[in-house]
Amino acid sequence: MAAVNPAAATALCGLVLLSAVAGMVPARAQSAYREAPPRLSEADASEQKEGKGLAAPSPFAPQAPGVNAANIPDGPPAEPGEATPAVEQIGSHPAHDDWPAYGRDTDATRFSPLEQITPRNVGQLTRAFIYHTGSKPAPGQANKWAAETTPIKVGDGLYMCTAMNDIVKLDPETGKEVWRHNAGVKYASIPYAAACKGVVYYTASTVPAGQLCHNRILEGMLDMRLIEVDADTGKLCEGFGDHGQVNLMKGMGESVPGFVSMTAPPPIVNGAIVVNHQVLNGQRRWAPSGVIRGYDAETGKFLWAWDVNRPDDHGEPAEGQHYSRGTPNSWAPMTGDDGLGLVYVPMGNAAVNYYSGMRSPEENRVSSAIVALDVKTGSPRWVFQTVHKDVWDYDIGSQPTMIDFPGQDGPVPALVVPTKRGQTFVLDRRDGKPILPVEERPAPVETDVEGDPRSPTQPWSVGMPRLGLPDLKESDMWGMSPIDQLFCRLQFRRAKYEGEFTAPSVDRPWIEYPGYNGGSDWGSMAYDPKTGVLIANWNVTPVYQILTRRKADGLMPVDDPSFKAGGGTEGKGALADTPYGIMASPFWNRYTRLLCSKPPYGMITAIDMHTRKVLWQHPLGSARANGPWRIPTYLPLTIGTPNNGGPVVTAGGVVFVGATTDNLLHAFDAKSGKELWNDVLPGGGQATPMTYEYKGRQYVAIMAGGHHFMRTPVSDALVVYALPGNK
Amino acid sequence: MAGLYRPRRASEWATCAVAVLLIVLGLPLVIMGTELALLGGSLYYILAGTAIVAGGILMLRGSVAGALLYLLAWLLTWPWALWEVGFDGWALLPRLLGPTLIAVLVMLTIPVLRHLQKIAVAEKDIA
Repeated sequence: MAAVNPAAATALCGLVLLSAVAGMVPARAQSAYREAPPRLSEADASEQKEGKGLAAPSPFAPQAPGVNAANIPDGPPAEPGEATPAVEQIGSHPAHDDWPAYGRDTDATRFSPLEQITPRNVGQLTRAFIYHTGSKPAPGQANKWAAETTPIKVGDGLYMCTAMNDIVKLDPETGKEVWRHNAGVKYASIPYAAACKGVVYYTASTVPAGQLCHNRILEGMLDMRLIEVDADTGKLCEGFGDHGQVNLMKGMGESVPGFVSMTAPPPIVNGAIVVNHQVLNGQRRWAPSGVIRGYDAETGKFLWAWDVNRPDDHGEPAEGQHYSRGTPNSWAPMTGDDGLGLVYVPMGNAAVNYYSGMRSPEENRVSSAIVALDVKTGSPRWVFQTVHKDVWDYDIGSQPTMIDFPGQDGPVPALVVPTKRGQTFVLDRRDGKPILPVEERPAPVETDVEGDPRSPTQPWSVGMPRLGLPDLKESDMWGMSPIDQLFCRLQFRRAKYEGEFTAPSVDRPWIEYPGYNGGSDWGSMAYDPKTGVLIANWNVTPVYQILTRRKADGLMPVDDPSFKAGGGTEGKGALADTPYGIMASPFWNRYTRLLCSKPPYGMITAIDMHTRKVLWQHPLGSARANGPWRIPTYLPLTIGTPNNGGPVVTAGGVVFVGATTDNLLHAFDAKSGKELWNDVLPGGGQATPMTYEYKGRQYVAIMAGGHHFMRTPVSDALVVYALPGNK
Repeated sequence: MAGLYRPRRASEWATCAVAVLLIVLGLPLVIMGTELALLGGSLYYILAGTAIVAGGILMLRGSVAGALLYLLAWLLTWPWALWEVGFDGWALLPRLLGPTLIAVLVMLTIPVLRHLQKIAVAEKDIA
């Protein structure tokens, strides 16, 4: 860790005095949403006047031009059928040295059997190489980067995507680029963030070994293309879709670039690629569909669709029609279960995220739920909901992990579901029933949002330790001095707050806690099947927000010509087609940029799944790169920072996690939780690390791409560590 | 009580600056603390703010009582902070660090204020 910088420490004390001055300065344009609001367009205003905003748009609306960035022709119409029979994929039985899938294996355990790096020697890790992906904002481009990438390693290749979807194969020993496929994704196609969590390794069943495209790399792209390239050469696989690409905008109806996009690796289950996509939050009720689709991994042909509001129709929409709009989307990495023929879809919310008054009963059933889809038909086999009528953006961002739950009568095929709430649900994969008790507890229903009653109860996974802290109270407010602390106490008292499920409020700000970046967000968890220990890093970051009457604010959705790029999905939202708009921001002191609640904001926990007891738990991340007015303090104090990105656990007994806003890669002793080692990355480590062995040497890799929302430095560096060379 | 004293030496100017600082820091505590109290929140801030502003005004008038008033408020802040958050270091930081640093400054003004008071008494005697 960095040594204490005495000058910086003194400066902090000085800041205490300065804060008083800052507190006296009248509100000025520091806040992210203080920019001049764009004007309400005439069309939008008249729509409101006539009350048409509440009706679904015509399903015959044409698809706007320009949304299919690569101009790929639509594939042939869907023909009923099953996927080309698949051979077993490498992800279900990974080689000892490999990390062949985003979550290491199809179970998404993030557990590696490698043992070379141990708690004894991890302190000697040094950089083996750095690979620069070349993807970062060009001069003049607003930073929307958050690569979030976890490379995969199969045999002699380290495969990864860049934040803008170029696919590369690297030499696992040197980091030299073996080949690169340029994707040609345009800046306009970046949705909330330029992210590519990973690529998928696929071994074809119809192309013999030794031929082009026997082994393939599959990727879902920001501009809604599905692409397969040969793993050895990087050349497009001609037999897949249209010369290697499939246009996922087919049947989506009207959209604009960046409104819908893929950032998570699509799993291949029994020969079917299951595709989900994110839909930009908070834009309009009749946003493009959140449809989940299956495609043949071999040919790219459409297999089925699961369209929430057309539950009995699994085909593609007829010419000129489209999938039902505004339905819940899924943006998390999904988990495939070849044995049961299911894919577990972590669902988000129906558009829009903060108002549920216009959602259909079908949408209400599956929002913020895990839906197990049959990969042959696209029909749900079971649904388990983690939040009822979610208006808190508690969509599921993490990949569920498949484990053999140590039950009384032997192992049970289980699914561990992390959530933003910090509630971890453990379900039976066969029927979706909770293995550990889930209680429906009363939730506040008082709201001044008309026509949008709240659910009287919400589910709590009482059999698992809560990855969270008690509800906020006034004395939890924080700052550097009594003055800025008082400012936060006042904000707290001005707001409506009745615990985790505080209902939205139109006339008063309300506090959401643990927040839309809370719990595991998208980081997911790691599980060591040998010891039965589950590792989770998590967040508690309050959000301050208010529903507003949209007309007064002039907020515009992304597909409106007068839309101005702003704070992305987290922040202000037009919630077009509804009577409201949303203003949301982290619950912070807008002058000092310190969060209003006291630390910690991020923690890491180890849970023994045999007993469901916490083995160890402590704050994660130091104060070194954070401070008031975004000035780094260089203090090596563990404060517990917000974190994005998951953990990795190895048979050697080491836990690796980046994620924190101190830009460190951390290594912990899996047994005791003691921090053994860390290293300063060239950018924010908001990605899940991975580990692999090559030519007898174990490596640890992390994409230090930074994250625009976490305000960590952007970089294009993949940093790879190893023990000093064996001589 | 006498009016504002006229600082002559550097130490007197510094004392004056500390007094102004107390007023500048105390006013937001009074203003925001009043609203907090009205909203049902902690009464600490309005009370502490009032004491700090009063202390600053007294110090401007050359009274050692002003400095003592601040120090009293500061001393009482410790048990209040411990009562409210216990021995949570991060939570104690905003409550104690700044006020303690200022308490050191205020202590340094006491000899200066004593001197000023003596002069004032002497001047009164002459008159």
